[in-house]
Amino acid sequence: MIVLGIETSCDETSVAVVVDGKTVLSNVVLSQIDIHKEYGGVVPEIASREHVKGVTLVFDQAIKKAGISYSDIDLVAVTEGPGLIGSLLIGVSAAKVIAMNYQIPLIGIHHIAGHIYANNIERSIEFPCLALVVSGGHTELILMKEHYDFVKLGETMDDAVGEAYDKIARILELPYPGGPQVDKLASLGMDIYHFPRPMIDTDDFNFSFSGLKSHVINFHHNMKQRNLEIDKANFSRSFQDAVTDVLVRKTKSAAIKYQVKQVIVAGGVAANRGLRAKMQDQIQFVPVYFPAMQYCTDNAAMIAAAGYFKYNKTQQADNMYLNADSRLKLN
Amino acid sequence: MNLPSKVLAIDTATKYIYLSLILDGKVIDSVYQEGSSNHSVTIMPLIEEILIKNELVLKDIQGIMVGIGPGSYTGVRIGVAIAKMIGYLNEILIYSFSSLALLATASDAENIVAIIDARRGNAFLAQYEQNSGVLKIKKNDILMNLDQFRIETKQPCIEISEGKPDILKIIKSKLYQVVSDVHGLTPNYLQITEAERNRAL
Ligand SMILES: [Zn+2]
Repeated sequence: MIVLGIETSCDETSVAVVVDGKTVLSNVVLSQIDIHKEYGGVVPEIASREHVKGVTLVFDQAIKKAGISYSDIDLVAVTEGPGLIGSLLIGVSAAKVIAMNYQIPLIGIHHIAGHIYANNIERSIEFPCLALVVSGGHTELILMKEHYDFVKLGETMDDAVGEAYDKIARILELPYPGGPQVDKLASLGMDIYHFPRPMIDTDDFNFSFSGLKSHVINFHHNMKQRNLEIDKANFSRSFQDAVTDVLVRKTKSAAIKYQVKQVIVAGGVAANRGLRAKMQDQIQFVPVYFPAMQYCTDNAAMIAAAGYFKYNKTQQADNMYLNADSRLKLN
Repeated sequence: MNLPSKVLAIDTATKYIYLSLILDGKVIDSVYQEGSSNHSVTIMPLIEEILIKNELVLKDIQGIMVGIGPGSYTGVRIGVAIAKMIGYLNEILIYSFSSLALLATASDAENIVAIIDARRGNAFLAQYEQNSGVLKIKKNDILMNLDQFRIETKQPCIEISEGKPDILKIIKSKLYQVVSDVHGLTPNYLQITEAERNRAL
C-alpha cells in the first residue's frame, strides 16, 4: 500500500511517500528553522505563511523523488493535530484536494502517533511496547498492546521536556533551537550542580519540569548576581542529567511493570545524545530503540507510516469534513 | 485572454465562502454562504457538492480563479492553498483576483468602496468606479484606518462589506491575472506580520 503522508503541524512543511508503513520512497522536509531563528522561536503567523508558500513545491519534490504518480497512491494521511492551527489547516486542506482529485481515501493522524510510528521505519514495532514521547510539546509514557492502540500511563503535569531545554538554552544565550546545543555542551561537562530530580521517586508515571526549570533559572540568576562564573558545559550537563535521570527511571519502572517487549523513544528530544546513552545504559533487560535522526524531528514519513497502520486497523477513512484540531487528544 | 470553458472560482477572504462554476463564460451555479470561522471544514464539501450537482468531478475543471485577499489571513490562505493544489495537480491555469474587487461586484453603484474589516479601526479597502457593469480601479487595495479614509475621500461612494458577488464582472472588467508560477502564488496580505514589524523597530 502506497501512502502519501503530509505533516504541517509546526514549522516544517513535509510530504512523504511510504510503502506499507515501512519503506520510505521519499521524505521531503522544507524547514523554516532559519526564518524563525531570528525570533528565538516559532512565530505562528509566519509559519502559516511559509506553509502556503511552499506547499505545492514540496508535494512535487516528494512525488518526483519517489518516482511515482499521484494515481499510484492508495491512501492520503495527514496530521490533523495537535499543533499550530494555521499550520495544520494548510496540510489538511492540501490533503483533501488530493483525496478528492484522485478519489483516494483520506485519514487524519495524531502527530504523536506519527512520532511513535517513526520507530516502525527501520524495524517493526513489537508488542507490548512502551513509548516515551519527548518533544517541545510532549512528555508522555504510552503503552501499546497492539497496533494503533495507545494507553497513556503518565504525562507531564506542566512543562514538556523540550520546553525546559529551550528555556535553559535561552538563559545560556545559545542560538535557537537550543535543545541540541544544550545536549552538545552537556557532553563536555560534568554534573557538578546536582539539580533536583522532580518526581523521580513517585509511584506514578507522571513528570514535572517547571519546578526544575525555575530552580535552574534562579540558580543561574544568583550566580550572575554574585559575579560567579558559570561554566556552560557543566551547567548544561547538570541540567541534562537531572532531566534524563527522571525520564530513564520512570521509563524503566513502566517497562518492568508492564513487561514490555521493547521500549521506543519518540519525538524531537529522542535525538538527544545524552538521553540515548542513558536509556541504552540503564535499560538492558529489553531493547531500547530510537528512530534514525532524520525521523526524530517532524517529518511526513512518520505520518504516512502511522496512517498505514491506522487505516489497516480501522478500515475507515475520513471525509471532506475532516478538521484540524490544535489540541487533539491521542485516542 | 480567454478563460477555458470549465472554470471554478473560489474566494474565502471574508466570512463568506464564495464558489462559482463558470461554463463557457456563464455562471451555471454558485455558492455564497456564511461560515463564521469554519471555512476550512466546509469549503471542500461545498466544492464537492457543487461539482456533483453539475455532474462534474474536480479533474474536469480547466481553470481556477481565486481571490488572493486581502482579508482574513486564515481564510485567504485556505482558498489560495486549495487553488494552488488544484492548479498544480491538474496542470491547469490559475487566475488570481483581488478579494476586494470581488466584493465590489456585489454593488450596482457608480462609486464603490469595498471594505473588509482589519480590526482596531483599520480596514482593507479599495475604491472602484462602475460603468455598465465594468469596474475600474480608482484606489488600489490598501490597509488603512477607515475613518481616515472617509475623511480623505471627498467623492461620495457606496460602502460595501458583504453581498453576493458577480464573478462575471471580474472577468468583464479584466480584474484578474494569470498566475505564471503555481508554486510562487501567495496571498496578498498587504502587511507583514506583527513579529516582523516589532523586529524592525
Ligand atoms: Zn513533533
